[in-house]
Amino acid sequence: MQIFPPYADTIARAALLATAGALLGGLGLLIVLPFTAHVTRQDITVEQPIQFSHEHHAGGLGIDCRYCHTSVEQSRFAGIPPTETCMTCHSQIWTNAAMLAPVRRSLAEGDPIRWQRVHRLPDYVYFDHSVHVAKGVGCSTCHGAVQRMQQIRQVAPLTMGWCLDCHRDPAPNLRPKEAIYDMDWSAPANQRQQGQKLIHDYLIRTEGLIDCSRCHR
Amino acid sequence: MNAPPLTRRQAALALLASAVSLTSCDKPEEEIVPYVEQPDRVVPGVPMRFATTLTLNGYGRGVIATCFEGRPVKLEGNAAHPASLGGTDVFLEAAILSLYDPDRSRAVRQGLRIGALENFVSALEPRLRGLEARGGEGLRILTGNITSPTLLRLIGAVKGRFPAMRWHTHEALGEENARAGAAMALGRPLSTLPRLDRAAVVVALDADPLGPGPDQPRHARGFAARRQARKAAAEGFSRLYAAEPVMSLTGAKADHRLPARPEEIAAVASALAARLGLDVPAPELPGPARGFVEMAVADLAAHPGEALVLAGPWLPPEVQALVHAVNARLNAPVEYREPPAEAPEPLSVLVEDLRFGRVDTLVVIGANPAHDSPAALGFAEALGRSQAFTVHLGPYFDETAALCRWHLPETHVLEGWGDARATDGTASVTQPLIRPIYDTRSAIWLLNLLLGDRDTGDRDAVRATWSAGRPSGEFETWWRRVLHDGVVEGSAAPTVAPPEPRLPPPRAATPGFTLLFRPDPSVWDGRYANNAWLQECPKPILKQVWGNAVQIAPEEARALGLSAGDVSRLRLDGRVVEATVLLQGGMARGVAAITLGYGRRRAGAIGDGLGTDAYALRPADGAWSATGLVLEATGRTAEILRPQDAHRIEADEADLFPSLELAEFRKKAEGPPHEEEKLPTFYEPKNGDTYAWAMVIDSTLCIGCNACVIACQSENNVPVVGPDEISRGRDMHWLRIDTYELGPEENPRPGFQPVPCMHCETAPCEPVCPVAASVHDSEGLNVQVYNRCVGTRFCQANCPYKVRHFNYRGYADGQEYANLGAPSIAAQRNPEVTVRARGVMEKCTYCTQRISAARRAAEKEGRAIQEGEVATACQSACPSRAISFGDKRNPGSTVAALREEPQHHELLGHLNTRPRTTYLADVRNPRPEGGAT
Repeated sequence: MQIFPPYADTIARAALLATAGALLGGLGLLIVLPFTAHVTRQDITVEQPIQFSHEHHAGGLGIDCRYCHTSVEQSRFAGIPPTETCMTCHSQIWTNAAMLAPVRRSLAEGDPIRWQRVHRLPDYVYFDHSVHVAKGVGCSTCHGAVQRMQQIRQVAPLTMGWCLDCHRDPAPNLRPKEAIYDMDWSAPANQRQQGQKLIHDYLIRTEGLIDCSRCHR
Repeated sequence: MNAPPLTRRQAALALLASAVSLTSCDKPEEEIVPYVEQPDRVVPGVPMRFATTLTLNGYGRGVIATCFEGRPVKLEGNAAHPASLGGTDVFLEAAILSLYDPDRSRAVRQGLRIGALENFVSALEPRLRGLEARGGEGLRILTGNITSPTLLRLIGAVKGRFPAMRWHTHEALGEENARAGAAMALGRPLSTLPRLDRAAVVVALDADPLGPGPDQPRHARGFAARRQARKAAAEGFSRLYAAEPVMSLTGAKADHRLPARPEEIAAVASALAARLGLDVPAPELPGPARGFVEMAVADLAAHPGEALVLAGPWLPPEVQALVHAVNARLNAPVEYREPPAEAPEPLSVLVEDLRFGRVDTLVVIGANPAHDSPAALGFAEALGRSQAFTVHLGPYFDETAALCRWHLPETHVLEGWGDARATDGTASVTQPLIRPIYDTRSAIWLLNLLLGDRDTGDRDAVRATWSAGRPSGEFETWWRRVLHDGVVEGSAAPTVAPPEPRLPPPRAATPGFTLLFRPDPSVWDGRYANNAWLQECPKPILKQVWGNAVQIAPEEARALGLSAGDVSRLRLDGRVVEATVLLQGGMARGVAAITLGYGRRRAGAIGDGLGTDAYALRPADGAWSATGLVLEATGRTAEILRPQDAHRIEADEADLFPSLELAEFRKKAEGPPHEEEKLPTFYEPKNGDTYAWAMVIDSTLCIGCNACVIACQSENNVPVVGPDEISRGRDMHWLRIDTYELGPEENPRPGFQPVPCMHCETAPCEPVCPVAASVHDSEGLNVQVYNRCVGTRFCQANCPYKVRHFNYRGYADGQEYANLGAPSIAAQRNPEVTVRARGVMEKCTYCTQRISAARRAAEKEGRAIQEGEVATACQSACPSRAISFGDKRNPGSTVAALREEPQHHELLGHLNTRPRTTYLADVRNPRPEGGAT
């Protein structure tokens, strides 16, 4: 008695092929997944307690980054402004705006504003803002055109490979000191030469830049 | 047992649940919480440093505390403070863990129940009014030793309100013998401070200045100042003699050591005195002791003004008095200071009065005599039966607290205001580094309450003490300077010229098997019993952790029919305890020794039930030894936890721990510099032009005190594994102190060798790692990349120095001894260092976070890192400055110079690992044959 019909072979082959395909596809997915926005959280807008607009403050009003992010030149942490920084202006203007109610409540009750973190590095990475801005890495190199963002979002993947691209070859990303906080800065045509010159001028020791111990402890 | 099969519905739900949990495998949300009003000078991410003062036995020791966003995480020595001089000891280093100890008392207790502070105050106030009407009759205050000017002022004020009040103090490890000896010889109990830095010859008679105690960092620094074996300056090298019944750190560093029973030490003291021309009978000494005295006398007499004899606090007053006379004859470098004006009464008086109902109200501040007074004194029993109104203020709900009517939780020293004086009288202020974590009260608050003052804050009380007699205009400036420096300039008590000492009457010795009581190097008198770092810190020489044991000489054990690990019964005057036997070479015959402080019943989750309570055997007068001990086997055995077992490897000693005599050293120093031939290697040469970090450890200076071990633990978030894991042979200390027993077994000469990672240039751990988690960086650090490590442990197997440690379990979080049961421990973690997870290898990093901080600071300023800018945690802790660290490529650096010293050597250098951590061999200075110095 014949149990399998003639097309059973085809089904079997197709099934084998499909299994292999699924395995390979799964493997591929595992390889690709870490670079997708799902994992890197690139371009994801996070809901914040206050709809703070960098576009308005940094772009429109032209407030310097360091007015709020005060510790960027001293600390590894750029600093999130305390409520009183917001109130230096907003005790004078837009004093009754509904949008700013959480800020007024924070100051009145002494309860800090709880922002959602957008740029997040793994715990085993130690990144220092101060040394980067001192050595010619501008804000927009990593944070993008913040002055055009309604809501802040992460534009760079912030993966280790992305960090290493620059640590292996910093020249394309360095800019003069006066342009660090210039959000509209764009690389000049001779960026390669200028970058090499800045590496020399800033006494950047490139040989140890890709040591594990630079960022991991 | 078979699990019941799932129904289809259950299976579907389980699948759904796992799918949901898989998709939620995302990074958890994270918040950034800024200040509402940012405090001045606070920069998030930049640590701040403040000077403050901690105490041991009441004596102040200055520290610099590092705080991250208001959270103290590390204590280091304050170079301006004379009791620290920049170094620390284990107790200073470990104090930070006690701050976050989850077992700290947090609630007011009425009896064993939780009570309310208001109830306590309303119960106390009518009593105080009644007491005031009676002139204070029946009011007692019991404290530890107090040097704090503010507390002394307040106690004086309490005496003013209640004139008949009586103040008692109790220190389990007190200085009664030393004071009595000074009173006997000098007429009044002058306090003495030997200056090891000014002594060319030191004879320690059962004294342990290098051992644990309030002045360990000071004495270690002074000792090290006279033990510098350097090509350039090898003059003035001191010689140390020690006669002692138990091996101490001082004995271990001695050039000549005599194991001697307590009565033999008294005889040695008499013989020294007689030979130096004092009018005392010279006793007949046995052979080795006679030789010891001959040499010591010759050296002492040859160094007038620079020769010093020390008597340990455990020697009887008669011997102490005799030593005062000898030192006066030698014009020894000893500083004498007037004793405190007021002498409080001892605990024994209080016990009598408790027993006979003469106490109406007892206030116990920071003392725990229910555990640390001799059981024979009967304090606990008297307190338990007393009808008095008893209040206990302390950091733990301890043995004494449980017997009192009321218990108040005490503020930790890092949380409150206060002040203290060092042993030389130098005053310094304690300032809070963090707001009290729990609703706790301080001793100042309680004394103010006795005065009816509930309004004065602790800070105001301390300021009131110090502003007296100072013009108010200048006070603020002065105060800010004192807080900044951590020491009150010029506050040391003046030294006084001692009167001509009187010779003491001879003391009749009682022969017999003697039990000696000693402070514990880990828990001191028991107060640090709940500190897991200290419990897991291998005790110097003994290497025991998580407990204590009765130590006897191996020959003694053979004679008694005991062997190591036997549980023995100790009988003394009808009192019996059981303790495990530990064999220790170098002990005198006819003595056994046990450390005090173990056997706690209410220390907390860490300290309860560990070891043997030696207070149960201590005589009622608090003596340091007792004769008539009977030691017998119980037939049971117990494990003694020692992360490093003691082995004698005689064949390899010269290679692993070379030592040489001073004469040899001088000869080598004058000879041509020895060229070390480099063996060939397959590794690619690394010819960077950047820093080349290196460490040199001087074995001559290392006193084996473990300060570096705890400093490393605190700086690098090194977890504790607990006794069970230790017994499986696991531990996590990045830095261990190997102890080599050189010389004959009956009188060995231990040598200490701290072993961090060698950071080999051709590291054997690197080629065997399949995932390149163990790699070199350009500055010569052998780095361990935790997030790459998959836990094969090949590197550990291939490391010849055994400095790599594996997280077999989640020691840092989740295991029993990890967070010690509560999240408060996480607040102690250094945010600059990764907390390692289970399954990851870890090891010494040369404090790479400190190198990184210095490098970033230098890079921001566009300069190179300067010599001395990077100090590793172990280096800055070291009280004798045995550890040097720096850039060996910089010709002006200390390490580069030390690497050229004649006694410089590599550990296991023949393996061609080319270690960056290297050693200076142990230089000893025994008296040469024939007598020349």
